[in-house]
Amino acid sequence: MSDVLTLPAAPGGGAPSMPRLLLRALARERAVRYGGLIVAFVVIAALCAPLAAWLLGHGPNEQFRDLTLDDMGLPIGPSLAFPLGADGNGRDVLVRTLYGARVSLLVGIPATTIAMILGTAIGLVSGYLAGRTDRIVSQVVDIAMSFPFVVTALSLLSLNRGGTGEPVIAPLMVVILVIALFSWTFFARLARGMVLSLRHSPMVEASRTIGASHPRIVLVDILPNILPVVIVYWAVQLPANIIAEATLSFLGVGIQAPDASWGNMIADAQRSSLYQDQPWFLFGPGAALFLTVAGFNTLSAGLRNVLDPHHAGASR
Amino acid sequence: MTRSFLSILLRSASTLVAVLILTFFMTRLAYRNPAAMLAPRNATQETIESIARSLRLDEPWYWQLWYYLYRGPDIQGAPMGIMHWPPALGYSFRKQAPVTDLILAKAPVTLSLALGALVIWMTVAIAGGVIAARWQGKWLDHLIAVLAYIGLSVPTFLSGILISWFFFFQLSGYGIRWFPSSGYVPLAENPAEWARHLALPWLTLALAEIGIFQRVVRASMLDVLGQDYIRTARAKGVSEGRVYFNHALKAAFTPILTLGGLELAVIMGGAIVTETIFGLDGIGRMAITAALDGDFPVVIGTTIFSAAAFVFCTMTVDTLAEWLDPRERR
Repeated sequence: MSDVLTLPAAPGGGAPSMPRLLLRALARERAVRYGGLIVAFVVIAALCAPLAAWLLGHGPNEQFRDLTLDDMGLPIGPSLAFPLGADGNGRDVLVRTLYGARVSLLVGIPATTIAMILGTAIGLVSGYLAGRTDRIVSQVVDIAMSFPFVVTALSLLSLNRGGTGEPVIAPLMVVILVIALFSWTFFARLARGMVLSLRHSPMVEASRTIGASHPRIVLVDILPNILPVVIVYWAVQLPANIIAEATLSFLGVGIQAPDASWGNMIADAQRSSLYQDQPWFLFGPGAALFLTVAGFNTLSAGLRNVLDPHHAGASR
Repeated sequence: MTRSFLSILLRSASTLVAVLILTFFMTRLAYRNPAAMLAPRNATQETIESIARSLRLDEPWYWQLWYYLYRGPDIQGAPMGIMHWPPALGYSFRKQAPVTDLILAKAPVTLSLALGALVIWMTVAIAGGVIAARWQGKWLDHLIAVLAYIGLSVPTFLSGILISWFFFFQLSGYGIRWFPSSGYVPLAENPAEWARHLALPWLTLALAEIGIFQRVVRASMLDVLGQDYIRTARAKGVSEGRVYFNHALKAAFTPILTLGGLELAVIMGGAIVTETIFGLDGIGRMAITAALDGDFPVVIGTTIFSAAAFVFCTMTVDTLAEWLDPRERR
């Protein structure tokens, strides 16, 4: 089988391979180029957080009250030593923003990936078996969607308290699981819809005729056909999940102080009301969050144009 | 028509019952020793035990579930269960009030917030979407696309802070006090003040939604405008205004309606962030304070309220969509 596939690729000429065609199509799409550039910048910034902390000599949770706070206890503005200024506790806003990027990606990417795998699997089964299974799954999706996000998240987070009040598993993990729990339905509905339309396609009928088993049809015939679109919607859902983490942290139920997250940094700025006359306080985490979300939104819009041509630019 | 409506109704009802039962288990697991959490602070051991007894928290879980669903605790002689008539959502010992009353007291705030924002975002998004579709690929389309993009990429809590920073702090610095920074005035009391107090929260909520909806409106308009019957209408000499608003927008409305119902449902469950930033005392704020406080009857009550709002909105939208679609009418 593999011989047949590799044969036509004669050295020097012939048709370009699938991956290369795909890369070329992606590179032609402007949104992919710009979005990819922003996303790459954010990822590099997140990776460089310890480097920046080392260069500036400020840890993310270290306080420099005597250096950065004036006589009134108000932080001074941006300076060479503190490029984005310091917060009310004398911590470096730039270093904390960079560490916040790590949290955003460390929560957003696994949460979206878990939701994608779980949701796609459920959607595949539901759409393929149809009938009663499909009705039950749709009902479960309805139930999952009708729970309010923040309050349920909070209840689930308090489930994590052991007998002594200490968390049983790391709070970061709980935030990841909670966000995954609220976004798998998106992938389940997406996958189900696509499988329903592929179920009676000639391709699947052919497989059935030669006696292929159900798992084989689902995994070998259907899955590869829906995978590109599923991956596009991974990129669509990711910025929404990054916002979800920031929102939870903003409300004080996600990433807990003193660990830096863009959400709790913005909450700090709002609570202390310092941003009213010192807006740079808000600028670091705010701009970072906007840039990240806009970057992923642009990238996913571009990916969708290339990989999901049926979809003519609507948001969902 | 009637049959499909009945099946939608049945499905919604079973969703609600499932949410009821799941919420019960979730809160019982999340809040250990509930009697102590429900008791007033500094309550003695005896008070806690008597609360546990009166709420039947000392009985096995299946009896607890039964009381919770059917009869609920008797408070001042009145049962507080959901399946009882009149249905009640329990009693908050912390607030010394029935949860139903608490929710009904806060509902107007959340409702005003959600419906006002809905009107703003739908108006702006439909106008923006139609304009973008009309001048597709022109500079106006690109400009609107960029603005929609920005709206879409700014989380509500960030835009809320920026809006209150600009419209409240900056303007009041120049002596312009158009918008208060927080508070709520009931509509019946003073409609002008009501709108003035809600203007900034409406703007905050609408901003993100406009970003989403403008693109949906534009895409479904373009989709419809490319179809044969639009060409036929134009060939017949129907004016452009009629083509856009009578023919195209009507057909493009179903996806807008479906998505709108979903977004409205989420906001009705409590726009927690907006309510927090603008100090509005709505359902969302009550829910989050209760959850942080361990006041679980309120947590259960607000969860059920938002689930009911969600189910109601999706149900209405499904029915409307079916009714609007001539193919479904028989």
